[in-house]
Parts: sequence; C-alpha cells; structure tokens
Amino acid sequence: MRDVYLGGVGMTVFGKHLARRLRDLGREACLKAIEESRIHPKEIQAGYCANALGSAIQGETGVGQNVLWELGINKIPIINIENACASGSTALREGWMAIAGGFYDVVLVVGVEKAVMPKGTMLNVGAAELETKLGDVFPGYFALTAKKHMEVYGTTKEQLAQVSVKNHANGILNSYAQFRKEFTVEDVLNSPMIADPITLYSCCPNSDGAAAVILCSEKKAKELSLIPVKVAASVLTTGCYENGADITGWEVEKLAAKEAYDMASLGPEDLNVVEVHDAFTICEIIHYEDLGLCKSGEGGRFIEKGATDLGGLIPVNPSGGLLSKGHPVAASGIAQVVEIVWHLRGQAGKRQVENARIGLAQIMGGGKEGDTKACTVHILVKVQNTITLDCKDNI
Amino acid sequence: MNETSKKALEGKEKYAVVVEAGLFHYPLNRGEKPHLTGNRCNICDKRFFPKRTGCPYCFKDGDMEDVELDRYGIIYACTLVHIPSPSGIKAPYAYGYVDIPVDRIRVFGLFTGAEPSSFHAGQKVELVIEPIKTDKNGQEVIGYKFKPVENRH
Repeated sequence: MRDVYLGGVGMTVFGKHLARRLRDLGREACLKAIEESRIHPKEIQAGYCANALGSAIQGETGVGQNVLWELGINKIPIINIENACASGSTALREGWMAIAGGFYDVVLVVGVEKAVMPKGTMLNVGAAELETKLGDVFPGYFALTAKKHMEVYGTTKEQLAQVSVKNHANGILNSYAQFRKEFTVEDVLNSPMIADPITLYSCCPNSDGAAAVILCSEKKAKELSLIPVKVAASVLTTGCYENGADITGWEVEKLAAKEAYDMASLGPEDLNVVEVHDAFTICEIIHYEDLGLCKSGEGGRFIEKGATDLGGLIPVNPSGGLLSKGHPVAASGIAQVVEIVWHLRGQAGKRQVENARIGLAQIMGGGKEGDTKACTVHILVKVQNTITLDCKDNI
Repeated sequence: MNETSKKALEGKEKYAVVVEAGLFHYPLNRGEKPHLTGNRCNICDKRFFPKRTGCPYCFKDGDMEDVELDRYGIIYACTLVHIPSPSGIKAPYAYGYVDIPVDRIRVFGLFTGAEPSSFHAGQKVELVIEPIKTDKNGQEVIGYKFKPVENRH
C-alpha cells in the first residue's frame, strides 16, 4: 500500500445558496483545491463525488459528472457516492484507496449538497423505515441517547449546551461558517424545545455548500509547493444493529477509532486537533468518549472543564463544527478534513491550533434500528517539511 | 361507476389503513388482546420485530417462525417531541424504546394514555393498537403504541 498525501483543499462558504446549483457550488470548491495544488484539471485521473440528497431534493443524479464537467473534466472515471452524512468522508476513502492501491497519482474528491429546507420543515429522509413512519425524527433519536447518557452518567443539560456555546464561539473565527453568532448556555437552553432535552440551538442547521480536496501519491506530492500532509488512517465501518444495545455510545464508532489508531500507529493522546460530527450537542460528547479523548461517561465533564476549547487539552471542532459552520450533508465530511489540513499547514488564521501536527476527523451517518449505518475516521499527519512554503491563511 | 368497482370500493372501506402490513393482527377479534407479530430464528431463538426474512446471525433460509410478542414492556429511553414529524404525527408526542423482557427484544414505539411529558425510563407499559395519524386522504392510519400499565389493587 502506498502513502497518500493531501494536495490543495478548498470549500465554499456554508449557508444558504438558494440561487446556486449543485454543480456551481461543487465547481467553486474543486477549483480552489485545484488552484491551490497548482495543477491543471486535466492532470486529475479520477473523480469521487459525494452527494446525499440531490435525487430527493433537486431531482438530480450523477452530480459528480455535472460538477466535474464544469471544470472541463471528462473521459476519466467519475464515481458518485452516497453514505448519508458520511458520504463525503466515504468518497475520500475511495480516493485514498485508489491512490494507496497504485491505480492513480492524482484524484479529486468533492462533496456537495443543497439541503436548506423551507422554514419550519425537516428533511424527510428514511421514509421507508418503520421508525420514521411512526414519527421518529433525527433530533428525537439523539434526544433518546442524550436522555440515557444523562440518566446513566449524570451528564447535565448545561454540559450539553456548552458544546453549542463552544462551537459557536469557534465559528465566529471562521468566515466559512453559516452561523457566526455567540451563544450563552442560557441562550441554548432557552431556545425552543425540539425533542427533550434537545433545543433548537442544540441542533445543526441544514445547509448548502461544497468542499473538495486533491489526493495524490508521494511522488506527485513532492511536485506540489504545499506542506506535506499524509493520510495516516482512513477507516469506514458499518453499524452493528445489535438489538438492545447500550445507546450511550456507538460501537460502530469505537470500532472505527480503534482501526484508525492501529493503522496510524497512534493513539488519542497523540492528537492535536479533532473535528467530529456534532449534528446535535449530545453527539460531540459521545464522540469524545468513543474516540478515547476521555473515558466513557466523562464527556459532559470533559467539555465542562474546557478540555476541548481552543487552547484546551485537545481542541475539538475549531471550525465551529456542524452546529455553527453548517451541515451540507455530503460536504461535511470533506470540510472537516479541509479544516484539519488548514491547522496542520498553519493556515487556520485566528482559530489556528498552535503547532498542530496530528489531526483526526470523524463523521457518521444514517439511522437504522437504533444504530448508525456508516462511520468514518480519518487521521492526518503533517510530515517533516523540506519543501519551500507558500501557503496563505484561510480565515 | 359500475357494480364491480362499487363493490371493490365498498370492500376497501371495510379495511383500515395500517402503518405497515404484518406488524400486528388488525382488526382485533372480540376479546382479543393486541400483540405485535415478530418472528424468531429456530436455530438461535433470537426474536425480531419487524419480522425478518432470515436470521442475520445464522444466515440459514427457511428457519424463521412467527411469534406473538409479549404485550408488556419497560421503557428503556423516551423523549417528548415538540415538532410535527414529516410522516404526519402531530406534536407534541412522546416515543422511545421499550424492552420486552419475555422476548428479550427492544422495540421502538409511540406512547399514549397519559400526559406525553410523564413517560420515563423504567416505566412499565403495555401495547395498544390505535390510530397514530390521519393520512393525505383523511383516512386514519392504525399503528401501535404503548400506554402505562394501570396499577391493579
């Protein structure tokens, strides 16, 4: 297996892009990644495009071909990928495998979504599942995990709210974020109740946006004037669907984390910066535990003591997370990796984690039988640099 | 409308719309207690609800047998939802997971028969079959729910 490196990366501002099409948003993100790599689009040997909801919302399929043709890319293999919220990171893993396996030296990975819904409505996905027919909604499922976590471990609603407070504070420093507004714990707790104990400001928004990265072989990476960042681990797992399982953690995530740490020969104590799937506040607390940043049950107290703040023991979601940055479903997994790359290359501006060398991105997606369908963990490592630097801040 | 189609329509009116076929026996016969219909694997005895075509653990065809699940369960986790669901359930509504000890299975279900905010983990509940919503055609959709077990003295 060959080492795989990150080339240029890029993303659009996340938020409402009502007048723009999927191919247009995708084009912008791809173009930024291509331009930062200083390669010609024709050098790209394969394209991996993640989009989760285009067929349901826009009535559009084959989004990858639509996006890449906007860049004049044709003829090469282009693969469309859907794995719910883990679509983007799954596409990343496909690109990683293709280069690691020696098939290509340069591939483009893009995630693009238009998920903004009319006010007061929710995404209607999973309509074929019995739980959905019976009234299950995403915030409700996570409310159940939150209630259980509170019952078993004594996690408080204030600790849950602190996740939203921290991520919104970080989002203020990120010009790509959808909601750049400061919240207090009281603001979060007093926002409208959605599904007890999940309030409105405990939920990430639906968003439009795109993110893209170039992946390349070591040989190609040496030709790029970029700080070398290597993919040290790329892991995808699928749910266990164990009826009657403990819902205060996700086995699918613990499994992915273990595989990723093993692959990278690293542990949670080695990480400098982390991006996790904070679709709802409780998720981030459980991810701390499942990824081994703290012990099981300690997630609430971990955020309470500021361990995951910028400047804390291990900063989590410096980008603002999904809660502040927004959640264009299939773009989110790639945007997390873009954020990690910026920190490793020292391009994260005001929210830069100093001397970050090792970063981890985790995201999961799709509900099934009280479990999650897909979970990915990526670990990126900055390699000792010998190349002249030419990086600009992304603030 | 000819006689045949009239008859067909009349026939249809006798059947209520159920949320999903095969989940429970409906309509109930006089005196019949409601049950969820699951199935069990004859090799490992694991029970499933909704029913599965094959056991994912034993992976052997033709060894599944229908079973009526016990009507009584204990709430494992619950929440109160304050927004209407895209599937048409009106807010506020309570739901959660119910463990059915006899069948060693956890099922998802809506809660009824008490203040929606009163449900809590550890509470004993029993199955009822009742309307859960009204569909686009104004027809009631029959589903299953759990209500608190009444204290008998």
